[in-house]
Amino acid sequence: MKLIKKQIPLAIVFIFGVLTLGSYYVPHKLSVDYIEMMNKWENIVSAFAFLLGLVSLFYSHCNKISRKTDGWGYSIFVFAGFLAMVIPAFLNNGKQSSAAGVTMLGWAFRYVYNALSSTMFAVLAFYIVSTAYRSFRIKSAQAFVLFAAAFLLILGKVPLGQIIWDAALGWTGAGVDQVIEWVMSVPAVAGKRGIMIGISIGAIVTSFKIIFGIERQYMGKD
Amino acid sequence: MLKETLGKFFKIDRRWIFLLLAVVLFVPIIKPIGLPNKTISRDTRHAFDYMDKLPAGSFVLFSLDYDPATRPELHPQAVAMVRHAFQKNLRVGVVTYIAGSTGLIQQVFEKVPAQYNKVNGTDYVIFPYMANAVAVMTQMASDFYGIYDKDQDGRDARTLPVMRGIRNYKNMGLIVCITGTSMLDYWVAYVGDKFKVPVLGGVVAISQPGYGPYLQTGQLKGLVGGMKGAAEYESLIGQPGKGASGIDSLNLAHLLVLALILTSNLILLIIKYL
Amino acid sequence: MSETWMIAGAWVAAGLTICLFSFLYKDNPFFKIAEHLYLGAGMGWWFQVYLYNIWKPKVWEPLMAHDWMVLVPAVLGLSLVTQFVPKISWISRYGFTFLMGYGAGLAVPAGLSTDFINQIGGTIRPLSMMASMTSWAVFNSLLVAFGVICVLFYFFFSVEHKGHFKKVSNIGIYFLMIYFGAAFGNTVMARFSLLYGRFDDLYAFAASKYLYATQFILAGMIIYFAVHGFLNRGKKEAEAAQ
Repeated sequence: MKLIKKQIPLAIVFIFGVLTLGSYYVPHKLSVDYIEMMNKWENIVSAFAFLLGLVSLFYSHCNKISRKTDGWGYSIFVFAGFLAMVIPAFLNNGKQSSAAGVTMLGWAFRYVYNALSSTMFAVLAFYIVSTAYRSFRIKSAQAFVLFAAAFLLILGKVPLGQIIWDAALGWTGAGVDQVIEWVMSVPAVAGKRGIMIGISIGAIVTSFKIIFGIERQYMGKD
Repeated sequence: MLKETLGKFFKIDRRWIFLLLAVVLFVPIIKPIGLPNKTISRDTRHAFDYMDKLPAGSFVLFSLDYDPATRPELHPQAVAMVRHAFQKNLRVGVVTYIAGSTGLIQQVFEKVPAQYNKVNGTDYVIFPYMANAVAVMTQMASDFYGIYDKDQDGRDARTLPVMRGIRNYKNMGLIVCITGTSMLDYWVAYVGDKFKVPVLGGVVAISQPGYGPYLQTGQLKGLVGGMKGAAEYESLIGQPGKGASGIDSLNLAHLLVLALILTSNLILLIIKYL
Repeated sequence: MSETWMIAGAWVAAGLTICLFSFLYKDNPFFKIAEHLYLGAGMGWWFQVYLYNIWKPKVWEPLMAHDWMVLVPAVLGLSLVTQFVPKISWISRYGFTFLMGYGAGLAVPAGLSTDFINQIGGTIRPLSMMASMTSWAVFNSLLVAFGVICVLFYFFFSVEHKGHFKKVSNIGIYFLMIYFGAAFGNTVMARFSLLYGRFDDLYAFAASKYLYATQFILAGMIIYFAVHGFLNRGKKEAEAAQ
């Protein structure tokens, strides 16, 4: 039992991991064919992974409705939203526009999904501003450097800011956009490069841990 | 006395700040200020120049991977760059790896091709959404049609005039990836670097500093960043659009944020040292 | 699309937008409804995209054409769903291990060459061409190299940060602060762009051709909050009086 429950899955990780890693470096036709087939398979399997999220969501909201917990009425709207997208899709065979113009699905996308999705993220803008007012404390030299870099970028990216800069600091002969270019291509690059190198080392180590079966959290409990 | 008023001012209900921001952003929409773009950033200029120098008939692959959340910044970029491609009579192919993009791609190609008399299938083609970007990108290196055998409307891709002579990356002139996700990193790593294909990027303003390293090493040939990048590109192709009009609102909003940060720190300083 | 559908669409979009924005004033049932609709609509959208772009053309149609190879990834994919039944959840390991093995194998060469070797190369290459660069470019390249090394010192946690090590890693922190400041500046710009997009749409929907959608819905929301606040105040006074 342990064989099929634990050993074989671990063997699968090892085999696929090593083969995929190797195929990047091997130019032989077999390796190219292998990678092509794996790409197609990955495409399909990850589409099924989406089902996990969907089933989980439906299960939790169905529970809420059947147990009539607090706010169960709102859970009905989850299903309403789902159907609002899926029914037009079935009717229009997944097409958003046809010879006759925009289909039901296209309408649902443009006026429902688009509106909801963008607004959710746009609300964050308000919170950024109020947090900037309340919590941006310049208490140390390092915080001041952070603020100076942010100040430079926010000011310099809009025409009014450029005009203000020229009025106040035009005598230095350095346009604000040139200063921003320098900041973005020298100190910011150094910071970002250090982070990228660090992250890539972490990713490579974790990938090897997964391939060799040392990291097994994703498999769940034994 | 002053300390108390300042203290109260500091603890102001945040809903007043929300209202202030809403007013500041809304007013220019009703009455535009109309400040022109003073300068074009270097990376946008490089992106424009690269596409401008491509010979007519070259094939450009657009990877449009953005969804409604990043639309205000990236949609004007996509429109401007597709317009540029049509202006230079380049062949355009569109792919996407984000499910939410398909509707937005529709919106780009509803109006833009008609302006330049471009026909679907002859001058441009739109391919369906694919789930696993990296797998597909690697596949396209050997045989494009292994994954994209049919276009969005179900036509056989090999027979389309726009795809004549295109088998894999070697036959493509340029790849343009416009995205709010890390899709551009994948294009650079798995395609640009590995198969030596030129890549241009269009990204949201947040991600822009992160691409400094790639631009420096030449892994990216040019980068259009945020709404400002879109406005700059629009002015370069001579066709102002939503990018330019958005900058007016952003003008005031930016100054508001700076003013708020400076004010709050000033108030704290005064309260501390009074 | 017919006129009526466009007007209906404008009212729906403006209504949903204003419902979501109403949260900024106070939590209310309209916001909760819009929020739950968003959850459902998002999942619904992705579901139909996967259905028409992956399951139908890449699994169903090949199976109908008797291409049995496609059964392997389909079965692996279905095995993922067994996760919800505790007794047979071990079957899902097959699906997960395939994904993890493939993903890990793909991540190593990409991370190695693009993020690791190329970045180090990009830092060092200018230093090898110093003879042909201007002194300003030389200074910049040296600064970048110096900055990268200091930042790496900061992230090296296996050695305790004290003495000279601490001084170097402190300099690294300053470089990181500049990067974060630049990133914050760009974040602010990005979020404002998004908000501007929403306001632009609302303004468009306030036109007479959409029957003043924005105005009516906004007015309705304000009236709701006013009435609600009034009724609540009445209730509070009644309770206080008791």
